[in-house]
Formats: sequence, C-alpha cells, structure tokens
Amino acid sequence: MIPTSYFIVLSALLFVLGIVAFFVKKDLITQFLSIEVMLNAGNLAFIAFAKAHGLIEGQIIVFFIITVAAAEAAVGLAIILLIYKQKKTIKSEDVNLMKG
Amino acid sequence: MNSLYALAPLSIIVLASIIILLLEVFLKKENKNYLGYISVFFLTACFIFCFMSWGKDYSYFNGSLLLDNFALFFFMILTIGTLLIILMSLNYISLMDANHGEFFALLLLALSGMFIMISSTDFLVIFLGLEVLSISSYALAGLKKKDEQSSEASVKYFLLGSFASAFLVFGLAFLFGAFKTTDILGIIDGFNKPTELGLLAIFGLGMVIISFAFKIAFVPFHMWTPDVYQGSPTPVTAFFSVGPKAVGFVVLIRILYPYWHSLFDSNVLFTILWIVSALTMIFGNLIALRQTNVKRILAYSSIAHAGYILVGILAMDNASCVFYLTVYLFMNIGAFTAITAMTKKGKEYVELEDYAGAGFNHPWIGAAFAVFLFSLAGFPPLGGFLAKFYVFAAAVKEGLISLVVIGILASLVSVYYYLRIVVFMYMHRSAGKLDIQQENPALLIVLFLCLYGVLQLGIFPGNILVFIRDAVGSLPF
Amino acid sequence: MTEIFLVFLIYGLLGVIMVLVNKILGPKKTNPVKLKPFECGSPYLQDRIYPVPIKYYLVAFLFLLFDVEVVYFFPWALVFRELGTAGVVFMSVYVALLALGFVYAWKKGAFQWEG
Repeated sequence: MIPTSYFIVLSALLFVLGIVAFFVKKDLITQFLSIEVMLNAGNLAFIAFAKAHGLIEGQIIVFFIITVAAAEAAVGLAIILLIYKQKKTIKSEDVNLMKG
Repeated sequence: MNSLYALAPLSIIVLASIIILLLEVFLKKENKNYLGYISVFFLTACFIFCFMSWGKDYSYFNGSLLLDNFALFFFMILTIGTLLIILMSLNYISLMDANHGEFFALLLLALSGMFIMISSTDFLVIFLGLEVLSISSYALAGLKKKDEQSSEASVKYFLLGSFASAFLVFGLAFLFGAFKTTDILGIIDGFNKPTELGLLAIFGLGMVIISFAFKIAFVPFHMWTPDVYQGSPTPVTAFFSVGPKAVGFVVLIRILYPYWHSLFDSNVLFTILWIVSALTMIFGNLIALRQTNVKRILAYSSIAHAGYILVGILAMDNASCVFYLTVYLFMNIGAFTAITAMTKKGKEYVELEDYAGAGFNHPWIGAAFAVFLFSLAGFPPLGGFLAKFYVFAAAVKEGLISLVVIGILASLVSVYYYLRIVVFMYMHRSAGKLDIQQENPALLIVLFLCLYGVLQLGIFPGNILVFIRDAVGSLPF
Repeated sequence: MTEIFLVFLIYGLLGVIMVLVNKILGPKKTNPVKLKPFECGSPYLQDRIYPVPIKYYLVAFLFLLFDVEVVYFFPWALVFRELGTAGVVFMSVYVALLALGFVYAWKKGAFQWEG
C-alpha cells in the first residue's frame, strides 16, 4: 500500500514541472502540452484523495476534467493550426504583432 | 423550491444556440441578420422568464443549481449585455467577413457557461461552466479568421486561459482532499471547523483565487488582457470586458462572502487582496497613459475597474460591487459600441489619430462616446461616479482609508487618458472624413440604451438599488 | 453462465455471417493500389518519414471530441437500472446534443476529402 502523500507529492511535482515548462518552452504545442500535464496533475491529486477518503466522487470529477481537457485540446489545436497557416511557424516569440 | 423551472433559462439559451447553428448550415440565405433576430427573441424570452421567477428560489439537481435572486439579477444584466452586443454587431459581422451563425451561437454558448457559473453551488459545476465560457471565448477571439491579430489574440487567450483553468483544477483537488466535497457550502463549513488539513485547504483556496484572478485580470495576472482585447473583434472585446469579469466577481463573492469575517480577520488573505487591489488600480491606470490604441486604453481601463470593484469586496459590501458591475456593463458596452461604429469594410479605426475630428464628423457617435468616457472616468452625474462613490464610501466605513486614497488618486490619473480620447475627437483637426459605415439603426439603438442606462443609474438609481439589495439579501450565510 | 455463452455465440456468429455475406455479395474489383501491403496512408517503401499533408485534421479533432464524450456512457451503464426513466431521458438529451453536433460538422463539410 503506497501512502497517499506520495501521490500528492508526485502530483505537486508534475504541476510545478508543468508551470516551469509553460514558461521555459518556446513553442505553442509544447506550451499546450505542459498545460495538459498540469491538468493531469490535478486529476492525479483528485484520484489520490478519492482513494484516501474512500469517495467515488473524486473519480467522477476526473471523468469531467478529462472531457473538458479534450474539448480544450480540440479548440486549442485548431487555433494553433490557424496560427501555423498564417505564419508558417508555431514559435511563441513569432506571435508578436501587438505591443504597447 | 425544487423544480424543473430552474433549468429553463439555461435551456432557452442552449436551445437558441443549437437552433442558430443548425439554421446556419441548413438555410444558406444571403442576409443572415435573421439569425441575430432569432437570438434577440430567445434572449428576450430568457429575460422575461428570469424576471417572472424573481424571489421564487427555484433549484434543481439536489440544490446544486440554484436560482436565488442574486443569480437571477446577474442572469438579467448579462442577458441584457449579450442582447446589446448582438444588436451592435449585426452590421459589423458582415463588414468583417465573419460567420454570423458561429458568432451568435458561440456568444450564446458563452452566456450559458456564465449562467452555469452564476447559478451553481458546486465547485465542479462552476469549473464546467467556466470551461464552457472559456472555450467559446477562445473561438470568439479568433473569429476574424483572416486577420493575424485576431488569431494571435485567440492563441494568447487560449494558452493563458487554460493555464488558469489548470490552477482551478489543482486547487479544487486540494479543497476536495481537505473537506471531502466540492460543494461551496460544504467547503465553508470545513473552513469554519479547524482541521489538521487546514494548510491544504488554504493552499487550495489560494489556487482557486489565483485562477479567478487570471479570469478577472487582476495585476499581476493581467498580462494577457491588452493583447486579447486589442486583437479580438470589437463586439467580442466588449463581451470579454464585461461578461467573464462580472462572473468572476460573482464567484468570488459567493466563495468569500460567507467567511469574510473568519478569513479576513486572519489577515493573510485580506492583506494579499489589499495589495492586489492597490496594484491593479495603480498599474492599470498608469500603463494606460502611454497607449495610443483606443482598444488597448480601454483594456487597461477595464483592469483598473476590476481593482475598484475589489475595493468593494474588501469593504465586505456586496451591494456596491453589484451596482458597480451593473453600471460598468452599460458604460463599457457603450464605449465599445462607439468603437464598433468606427468601422468600414475590412478595417477598424482603433488608433487615437483616427479619432481626430470624429466628434464633429459623426456627432451622435462622438457625443455618446464622450459621455461613456466621462462616466468611465467617474464624472457626476453619470453612473460611473455613483458606482465609485458607493464603493469608496463602503471602504471608508470599514476603515480602509489608505486603499481609498490610492483608488481616488488612481482614478484622477485615469481622467487624463479618458479625456485624451475626447480631446482627440473634439480638438484635433481631422485629415479627412473617415469613410465609416454608420447610421446603422441597431447600433444607434444600442448607443441610446447604454446612454439611458448610464444616466438612469447615475441620476435615479433608486429602483435598481432596491433590486440589488433584494438580490444580495438572498445570498446564503 | 448460459447468458454469457449465448452472447458470445450470437455475436460471434454475427461476425462470421457478416464476413461471409460480404464475400458472397460484394463486388470483386481489384487494382494495384489495393493489392499493396497496408501502410497507414504513406508509400510502403521509403527510406524515411516524409511530412504528410493532413487533409483529415478536422476528422482527427472531431474524433478526439466524440471519442472522449463517450466516457460518460460507462458510469451511466453501471447505474442504469437504479436511475430508471430519468436516466434514460437525461442520456437521450446528451446523445441528441452529440448527434446535433455531428450533424453540424457533417453539413459544414468537415468530412469531405476534396476541396
């Protein structure tokens, strides 16, 4: 039996890694991937807490988060594709038309 | 009262958006304004329903969807806001070669997401509503598919918006871990009973608040706002500056209000929010000073206004916050309507120089724009003045003198950049008349309605204040 | 026990029958491309992976959405009996919404290969 705290620490680690990757990476798809990592860190925490408390709700919530993430992925990838069609690049430093 | 009626406003809006999507693909007519009229019809129906069910407290799904007066009030003003935005964009969409059906349907879906957030008492459902709102918003921002600025706005909003959602999910997980529930009332109970998991819970609540700070655009989480507001189509910008902000504040009030006294007395959260409010007012107004793009100016102004409303929350006075949000809806939509009017086929005039002489060339639009800017700056007798007055008065009563001083100084600074637009409109010689396509009746109606709102709320706010007291009084404690 | 056996029997037979019917009734036309080994759209002998123009990205997005939305059927199926009529009604609304989304995508031309 693995203690719950291990899972929580792992999920916190994943979340922080996601944040770091979001700011370090210079490419829209990878930034989006790091957001997915952060969402899944949340999922992991939910499941770990659900197991620890013996509540089924946590797992159901994870279902919802997964579907929401899929919807976000579909819209987000379409937007990134739009950017690629216009600029022929997905480097985030090339997304710079607006300054002020 | 448990009743299926609780689902009615939401179903009306979702049904409307589905009907519009299907009509859009099945009927290929030249003039697609009829889609706008259909959405106006459904929005009116929704408004009437909300008005009729005032005070009835319908609820459904074991109370996790609750139409108390507080929710109904925001339903009504957001319905009005969406109605105004649809009316003002009827002509704009064809000028910008965007797709009518997509625009109206996405706008209504975003509205339904806001309804879910406002009326729900469970954090999971609030999260789902937030995502319905956000995902529609990402698509709305990129509606001008051929315009690179619009796509950039879309991708920036998407990345930072989903970044904020991830914070919400993670914070929720910790609240769930600490209190074994995602219900707001359950979480409140948990906070009132100290447990050994208190740190976990505070951490979770902090994450949740950070995520809403992103959505409302408090400094230092505001960096996406100017770019997104500038790049999006103007009516969509009007929507972003009003809708998500109002809903964010509703959720903040719902989660903070019941344990203001226990949390704010502990001073940590209070101090953080105090600093955020001061920073938001100062930076929003200072950075706006050196902008030359009117949409960017209004973007920074909307950041600053969020700071003023946060003062009301810190003063623990819900009524003044709600009043501020109501006034803000009318004056901001009005200002953006005036910008929407400055459009010709495929081009928007958004630089300050474009507005030179506009006050004389287009007297109606210029005059209305000036009134909205005065109201945003907070001149009496307009609504903006009274809104600021109530918020600051409530703060003085709670002894937040230094915050009020910062707020008043910041709004003095803001007078400069609001008046700068007016000066450009009335005191600069125009290079030539702008060939904008105006005299569009729907647009003038919206301008008139917003003017009426700003004046009514500024001079005779009595009726609305009664409504607002009733609404705030229905919050559970 | 017999129930499970019957299920396997019926569906197994159904599979066999469908393949047989196809063999008997289907038209038998071959062409060189059809006889080549199947290799996921790319030419079957090439020294490295070339970028393939993806016309089908819309289908990929839609697949992603509809595939994940189906996840709600599993918990629903588990408590199907306890929910009674209300469960059926709610799930039909959900399926109807998905179907309307599908109709919209179809009419928008998301599944068209050409153009």
